[in-house]
Amino acid sequence: MMTNDDIIKRLTAAVSATPGKDLELVCIESNTALSRFAENIIHQNIEQADHEIMARVGLGDRVGLAVGNSIEPEAIRATIEHALEIAENQNPDPDFPGFVASPAVPPTPGAFSPATADYSPEDRAAIIKAATEACTKAGVLASGLFKTEVRSSTIVNSAGTTQYFAETAAEFSLTASDDKANASGWATGYHRDVGKLDLEQVTRVAVLKAVTSRNPQPHPPGEYTVILEPAAVGQLLLFLGFLGFGGGSFASGRSFMARQMGQQVTGENITIIEDPFAPEMAGMPFDYEGVPKKRVPLIENGIAKGVVFDRRNAKKAGMESTGHALPPDNTFGPYPKNMAISPGTVPFDDLITSTPEGILITHFWYLNYLNPRRVQMTGTTLDGTFRIKDGTIAQPIVNMRATPALLEMFGKVEAIAAERVVYPQFNSVMLVPGMKINGFELSEDTEKG
Amino acid sequence: MSGPLIDKAGAAAVDVSSASGVVYADCRIVHLTAEEISVQGGSPEKLARSESIGLGVRVLVDGCWGFAAAAEVTPESAAALRDRAVKIARASAKLTGERVNPGKIEGITASFRTPIIKNPFEIPLKEKLAYAVHLDSTLRAVEGLTRTSAAMSFERELRYFFSSEGSRIEQEIFRSGGGITAGVGGGHGGSIERSYPTSGGQYETAGYELIERLQLEAGIEQTAEEAQALMQAEECPQKTCTLILSGDLVSLQLHESIGHPLELDRVYGSERNFSGTSFATPDRLGKLQYGSEIVNVFTDPTAPGGLGSFAYDDEGVPAARSPLIEKGVLVGYLTSRETAARIGMKSNASMRAKSWAYLPLIRMTNTILAPGDKTLEQMITETDDGIFIQTPTSWSIDDRRENFQLGGEIGRLITGGKLGAIVKNPVYSGNTIEFWNSCTAIGTAAEHRIWGTPSCGKGQPGQTIATAQGTSPARFANVKIGG
Repeated sequence: MMTNDDIIKRLTAAVSATPGKDLELVCIESNTALSRFAENIIHQNIEQADHEIMARVGLGDRVGLAVGNSIEPEAIRATIEHALEIAENQNPDPDFPGFVASPAVPPTPGAFSPATADYSPEDRAAIIKAATEACTKAGVLASGLFKTEVRSSTIVNSAGTTQYFAETAAEFSLTASDDKANASGWATGYHRDVGKLDLEQVTRVAVLKAVTSRNPQPHPPGEYTVILEPAAVGQLLLFLGFLGFGGGSFASGRSFMARQMGQQVTGENITIIEDPFAPEMAGMPFDYEGVPKKRVPLIENGIAKGVVFDRRNAKKAGMESTGHALPPDNTFGPYPKNMAISPGTVPFDDLITSTPEGILITHFWYLNYLNPRRVQMTGTTLDGTFRIKDGTIAQPIVNMRATPALLEMFGKVEAIAAERVVYPQFNSVMLVPGMKINGFELSEDTEKG
Repeated sequence: MSGPLIDKAGAAAVDVSSASGVVYADCRIVHLTAEEISVQGGSPEKLARSESIGLGVRVLVDGCWGFAAAAEVTPESAAALRDRAVKIARASAKLTGERVNPGKIEGITASFRTPIIKNPFEIPLKEKLAYAVHLDSTLRAVEGLTRTSAAMSFERELRYFFSSEGSRIEQEIFRSGGGITAGVGGGHGGSIERSYPTSGGQYETAGYELIERLQLEAGIEQTAEEAQALMQAEECPQKTCTLILSGDLVSLQLHESIGHPLELDRVYGSERNFSGTSFATPDRLGKLQYGSEIVNVFTDPTAPGGLGSFAYDDEGVPAARSPLIEKGVLVGYLTSRETAARIGMKSNASMRAKSWAYLPLIRMTNTILAPGDKTLEQMITETDDGIFIQTPTSWSIDDRRENFQLGGEIGRLITGGKLGAIVKNPVYSGNTIEFWNSCTAIGTAAEHRIWGTPSCGKGQPGQTIATAQGTSPARFANVKIGG
């Protein structure tokens, strides 16, 4: 990885060498190391290093964007030239807000771990070997991933902004399976600091789920009280964020938040905050326009409170940026990348012991939109679905299809666990508790093949 | 990048003469240029050009893989990446599972270029932008539409492959595509979208001539009318009936429930922790009645215009047509050199990497459902109680690819052999084997088309890759529809 001084110097020099132009340069540098394993081998063991240099040029209200992947000065210059050429050919964008000077933001404490940055292929292999051996001992197969990543984001613009942020992340994910018994278990762990990742706990949970989910029985379709483990909550929350909490869909009126701002949209016990500064997540403290991030209440006690904006969508909506611009080559628009659901007061285990009849869901598989108008998803349960009877886990059941309408679902939350887990998904990191939800519809998804 | 520099870097990357235990190495040097143009509601949403250049080295050491990649193409960096890949492969050897043996193939020296008529990068930016603006503004002129968009994108990929077996392959692949979308609503009643020629647009390995051939203006009137009709339409009913799918929805069905389950690395469990496994295990090869007797499916990376077309895969294996399902029976898989050897077959050139930075995985190329003998009109006329669903919107399939739920943009009820009322949010669900065995008709060759899927996802780090599915409309009996 380059030093922050070196990157900033290169970008600043390139901006200075393009006088009289509104210019923004974004550099994302990443080193990813990853081992994937199955069948007692590491079948994919890689390291990849790349840079992405994005140049945005504004000629009045005409905007050009070009992207390259070399940080050599002449290559950066060429990328800027491309962006200029595009801007000259572009049509006016009345919503382009120009570039703005933002004060430099200090790094979020805990975001960078030297131990993670220095983690070696041998270190990864040793952990994978231990997990594989634990699975073999329990009579189940191991497959999964161990990933470490070092990433820096630098933004320099002609208005005077200079921001730099370096971060690390370590992720270990394990699926333990027994095909003959139609059983599988799964667990994951994520931390900025690989040394603080509880790798043994991930292995223990995945193995336990696999072993206890052997020979699952069919279960009738119907509406059930379900206990969603934190990962399952996180998966659904992410889609709620995509559909509702982005400034783009808000500004265009497509988001349910645009229709119901200030109204009760979920149960009163639901509070969701975009909180990049939560120490558990230690998110990036500014966005890809260099604007400092804000902590944004999205839903507070069930009431729709806010969405996140970049500068363009904020201008369209007559609002201010909350510091949530994505890299300039995206067309998706801003969305919250560090959502946190406020915890409840009861231990997670009490969600189960207080349930006379219900279903415990580890996580979901292949969630996708079913009916965006109803904020409705479709997906199946996976890697440990259990019937709860009289407050205990009574038996494993076969995976079932879930089609929750998310706002309605978050209106039926009976209890929220006090413990929260950091859960990464699709370039977001969330802080989520388990939940007990009533009236959750599950239908048959029988395995017949 | 100059040719001599590429050759020197490639040669350095695969020179394993001094490293003990290294039995194989290959190297991909890729230079990708892409252009994206999108206009939404009169605003220029995106006009961008991107370039990426880099080099990735894969080595096999004592039966274990290692891979390293970086955005620098010099002989020195190539040698350093090779050495790093060897170190990574040696770490892989800490695990004691069965060692990899991909066998040997003859080295190949070859080159290939997508046959194109108009290089999209030689068409002036202004002209392409003007066309997108024209499409969007024509849509916006239609009363009642609340959202409109027009988009197109182009890629030129220069891909060099070198191997320690002596291969040197150079390919220049062009991909082009575009489409339009009309949306209605956005208030309390929610919103509806209708697209043309299909959701996300149509993409092919082609030049700018594809954009001209698509004649996107021709779809504007019907797209807008259908979007408005959908806003007023009833929800799709829940029942079991005959289902007729448009070719683009058959494309998604084929992709999700035949293409993915037949990726042999997935079958062997390498995606279990992320993209799932497959019910189509090798013990069922030659025995499994995957579909009805009219279902014939093959993989064909040589299909003209197919978005997944090329001449050599990322292991240097020549592209060729290969059967997957014959008269409904499972007869093949999508394979790599390594996995094909495990079932006593030869690779059918399905190893593909997103770019220089990624390890090749088994991916779909062009998956083709052979045409049948019924026209869409005949299928509808012969249906007493059914629904015709067009254009994919949503999909979900379980981790073994057995049970699915798919949705389309628009449904038309069929009663007594005639198309009737439009219904919105049409979804259907089923079991893969039961569904394909219930296939009672496949559209004719005249209605056959290769639909591009520009961003099929698989693997970690995630690799989106361009695939295609060749399909006609098709009919299925006794399918559950409705959410």
